[in-house]
Amino acid sequence: MSESSHGKDKSGVTLGRFFEQAREGALTGIRCGGCGALAVPPKELCPECGARGWEPVPLSGEGTIASYTVIRVAPRGHAGDAPYAIAAVRLREGVSLLGRVVDVPLEALAVGLPVRYRPIVVKDRPAIGFGPV
Amino acid sequence: MRRVAVIGVGVTQFGRHERTSAELFAEAAADALADAEMPAARVQALYYGNVVGGETEKQLHTGPQAASVLGIPTVPTTRFETACASSHAAFRHAVMEVASGTSDVVLVGGAERVLNVPTADSTEYFAYASDASWEQTLGLTFPGVFALVARAHMHKYGTTEEQMAAVAVKNHKHGVLNPKAQFRKEITLDTVMKSPMVADPLKLYDCCPFTDGGAALVLVSEEVARKARRPIWVLASAAASDWMLISDKRDLSRVPATERAAAAAYRQAGIGPHDVDVVELHDCFTIAEIVATEGLGLFEPGAGGLAAEKGWTSLGGKVPVNPSGGLKAKGHPIGATGAAQICEIVTQLRGEAGPRQVEGARRGLTHTLGGNTATVLVSVFGRE
Repeated sequence: MSESSHGKDKSGVTLGRFFEQAREGALTGIRCGGCGALAVPPKELCPECGARGWEPVPLSGEGTIASYTVIRVAPRGHAGDAPYAIAAVRLREGVSLLGRVVDVPLEALAVGLPVRYRPIVVKDRPAIGFGPV
Repeated sequence: MRRVAVIGVGVTQFGRHERTSAELFAEAAADALADAEMPAARVQALYYGNVVGGETEKQLHTGPQAASVLGIPTVPTTRFETACASSHAAFRHAVMEVASGTSDVVLVGGAERVLNVPTADSTEYFAYASDASWEQTLGLTFPGVFALVARAHMHKYGTTEEQMAAVAVKNHKHGVLNPKAQFRKEITLDTVMKSPMVADPLKLYDCCPFTDGGAALVLVSEEVARKARRPIWVLASAAASDWMLISDKRDLSRVPATERAAAAAYRQAGIGPHDVDVVELHDCFTIAEIVATEGLGLFEPGAGGLAAEKGWTSLGGKVPVNPSGGLKAKGHPIGATGAAQICEIVTQLRGEAGPRQVEGARRGLTHTLGGNTATVLVSVFGRE
């Protein structure tokens, strides 16, 4: 990776880089060098302490469903996938990610259900997925 | 800072139109100027809300276009885009222009045209107000965003689908009384509960419609207002934001931006939630009304569902919410919605709302939410 592709982000975790790694199965969070707060990239300043220095940290990808829905009326580009489940998942480390839930029957979805990160591709783009543990 | 008042309001029929958004705005604005008995030549600026004009009409630069079609091409104008809260954001900035002494007469409004494109396209365009990398990629829709809120609220407080349906039934009942409303027919709880799922647990009748329409109002300084027939005073106008990503919000059962904007507005106005007689709030989905009534402090967190079920928010109830029919029945032309809500509250406080009048209303509040709960504006109005 060249300097320029990382821009000025000192953690090296740009949005593009996050999804490159996510495609390979690895979720990368960022930890504030000032106060230790954990966040999802990209962020320039820490919302907790205002510091401008992040370190990349691996995320387990394990968590539980905080809320979920089943999209039945989809946007033009996703209509072929409907119905599909989307959930807000609280990861073990304390940050949350939104993702498609795959390989879980729609009627089995529940708040509190344990799930694990699963790389998926939606419309040729890497995206966040969650599957059964 | 100077006191500011609304002295004229105008709203088009809401529904399907075969006219551009600029034409719809111009009709509403001409009506507002006539209502204010204000010559167009005295308007010093236009603050304008429009959201998906770039997509549905292939039209940017909608501020000067709207001013040109109205017939005031030389006034300074800016288009505001804060998703569904756009013309309320425009209003807040216009209030600051008049309060600061920069202008004495300012026009505020908005318009939207979406029914000229298929539903799958408008669903996609509205989703552009969620994050392109994290949310749009997943196929998240706006009903989907509020379905996540609904599920979290149900899990935390035991709110039921029937309580959400009660909001739709109530707002449709109010909409019957509003000649400008898109839907003027009563519905039953059963109609809502048996309507098709859009994004579980939200059904078709939990969702507001796509709407074409325009709204405008004339905002003036105290000196100008004193010569007007029935000025309604702006007691507060406040904005708040929150994390853009749904996943960054700590508690999906709440809308912290509503709570922050409301706290700021009550402080500005020097009143509390129980001093408000009538409310127009952002019921883009039935759950959104329930969460908003809690965030505005009208009811305790978790009690919004019960309030809808018990009729406390109906006309004749403790605090009537959305006497216009709300976004649900009146319709939701997104760029015009904030201005249209203000027009309704002004009409209510003037005592000119006819069969949907909240008797003796002295203070009113408007609440407009933008996008995935990341933008909220709250304004407070009074007869004195």
